[in-house]
Amino acid sequence: MKARRPKHLDPRGPLAENAARIVKTRLEELRSFAPAALEAGASREQHDMRIAAKRLRYVLEIIGFCLGNEAEEARHRARDLQDVLGELHDCDVMLPRVAAHVEERSAPELAPGLEQLRAHLETRRGELFDRFREFWDAEEGSGTWEALERAAKARR
Amino acid sequence: MARVRSIDGLRGDQPYASVAARVVAVRVEELREHATGVLELDDVEPLHDMRVASRRLRAALEVFEPCFPPKRFKAALREVKSIADALGERRDRDVAIAVLCEFADAAGAADRPGIESLISSLRTEQLEANERLRIAVTTERLTELDELLSGLVAEAERVGSEATGVG
Repeated sequence: MKARRPKHLDPRGPLAENAARIVKTRLEELRSFAPAALEAGASREQHDMRIAAKRLRYVLEIIGFCLGNEAEEARHRARDLQDVLGELHDCDVMLPRVAAHVEERSAPELAPGLEQLRAHLETRRGELFDRFREFWDAEEGSGTWEALERAAKARR
Repeated sequence: MARVRSIDGLRGDQPYASVAARVVAVRVEELREHATGVLELDDVEPLHDMRVASRRLRAALEVFEPCFPPKRFKAALREVKSIADALGERRDRDVAIAVLCEFADAAGAADRPGIESLISSLRTEQLEANERLRIAVTTERLTELDELLSGLVAEAERVGSEATGVG
């Protein structure tokens, strides 16, 4: 997923003003994947949201200090979001991999273990998706992203 | 995992380009510090540390992009991405193998052959990824990248100094 480019950045200007513009862009990018990513089968959107969470997390890690406590809180939550979506993505990568392995190696003695693994990954994916949804709803409810948006707006 | 090095004395009122120079310089040092032992297959932590360092450097370059000359910036970012991708390809196999080994240990005897067969296939890919990584992290290549990034840092320092009227 190509990153959106923040506008009106000035290398000679103060860091805080530029940081606010970058954070605003990264936050909008992250939030643009809801509600699409909140559908169980939307693995593409969930993957893109993971990338967006990672970008926001790193931006806040580097320049969040000029946006105060709201940025520090949002950085932790972006990392949590990246973690859960990362695990979800791992399941999405491994499931077709297991299916392909079953097709490649048709030996009957391999089938039970691979079927067991497939079932485990399906269950795990379902649990992770539920956790992701709950997490997203909780953060929207507690206003983590709005607080960051306000903090950025105050410094532009 | 190696902790990220903190950079003291950064402030929001400093020129964006001055902060760019300081942050990128530290992240480049971190990348070089973690370049030892990454090709080891018995201990996967050095590779993990260098991968994290490469991601932090890439993120810093992207955050401060407007502070660097565009052409040289693109070349540097392309090289950092290439190293990060090679590290990522190896890391993905390291992680998948560790997870599947744990799963196999907990599985019943009848289930193990299938899982071990998948692990064996991943070990082959791990070796292949390691060979690609060997080419990506040669001393010559890392030195060239270092020089390229030092040039970017110097340029950002110059822009930052102009903004503050220093130098």
